[in-house]
Amino acid sequence: MHELSLMAELIKLVSEDAHHRGIIKVSKIDVIVGDLSNVLPEALEEAFVYLRPRVEAPFDEKTELHIIREEARAECRSCGTEFVPDYRIAFCPVCRLPTSELQSGETFRVESYEGCDEDGN
Amino acid sequence: MEIKLKEEVLKDQNKAAAFNRKLFQDSRTLVINIMSSPGAGKTTLLEATVKALAPEYKIGVIEGDLATERDADRLRALGVDTVQINTVGGCHLDARMIAKKLPEFDLDKTDILFIENIGNLVCPSGYDLGQHFKVVVLSVPEGNDKIPKYPIMFRRTDITLINKIDLLPYVPFNLLEAAEDLKSINPEALFKPVSALTGDGMGEWTGWIREVYQTCLSR
Repeated sequence: MHELSLMAELIKLVSEDAHHRGIIKVSKIDVIVGDLSNVLPEALEEAFVYLRPRVEAPFDEKTELHIIREEARAECRSCGTEFVPDYRIAFCPVCRLPTSELQSGETFRVESYEGCDEDGN
Repeated sequence: MEIKLKEEVLKDQNKAAAFNRKLFQDSRTLVINIMSSPGAGKTTLLEATVKALAPEYKIGVIEGDLATERDADRLRALGVDTVQINTVGGCHLDARMIAKKLPEFDLDKTDILFIENIGNLVCPSGYDLGQHFKVVVLSVPEGNDKIPKYPIMFRRTDITLINKIDLLPYVPFNLLEAAEDLKSINPEALFKPVSALTGDGMGEWTGWIREVYQTCLSR
């Protein structure tokens, strides 16, 4: 629902870091989006395409956004079963107790980006 | 060249949340972030809560809405220091919006600060405001299926208040199922049925606030 403002944050984060390193052009951004992060990858992509030509360098219409989906995984504290949870995030399918802990799926992080400085490096 | 950034997208927002948290700890102010869909009764709940607690505690309120000062006016009518935030379309409050408004309160003299978030069962769950506790209000007419349908909100909150229980005889809402669904999503969360209108269950809720106020102070 607010992917446009999330994308504005993401662009600001990368811009500031690129500026700091003397990078004048960013060609690709890798972002990790967890299945339980409440961030919609499709909406994030649309927001990126919308904002990309409207923000200052180091971005242009050739900058790519690469979304890496992170699967939700949980582990049961009672029996140790690892599983992909449905909406019952803490519910273990084996011992049927709500004793599971989420191991992954909530990440929303810029993992890395590629770019070059004035010398083309 | 490739830069391994490994930064949370919400880094700046989370820094602001940490800043708020430190201010709240230093001023010994208990802060409760209240979320729900529009119309679940957050403001009515706050009115009843403030009336019950005002004799013992100095209370402040931050009201979040897209537009108008209506909710703030309702709280001000009870003599509570209230600041309204209008997000003009924004679907949630973030920690920076809160940080900007905190100078309008005398936090050292404020015992409890309630933050009424924007009515929305999705987006506000993603933003840490620096609060001690997050509360979600689900009202009986919305139906108990909202817990499994919006699991992330219920996963990330410390208490689920089921409001408008005075309507239980008139609309289908399965309290038992709601409690079970909540347990399977967030086993640590507390589950409290209340009616802000009739006062039913409100003693348990305000009792919980008194209890955590003590815990918060002794930290």
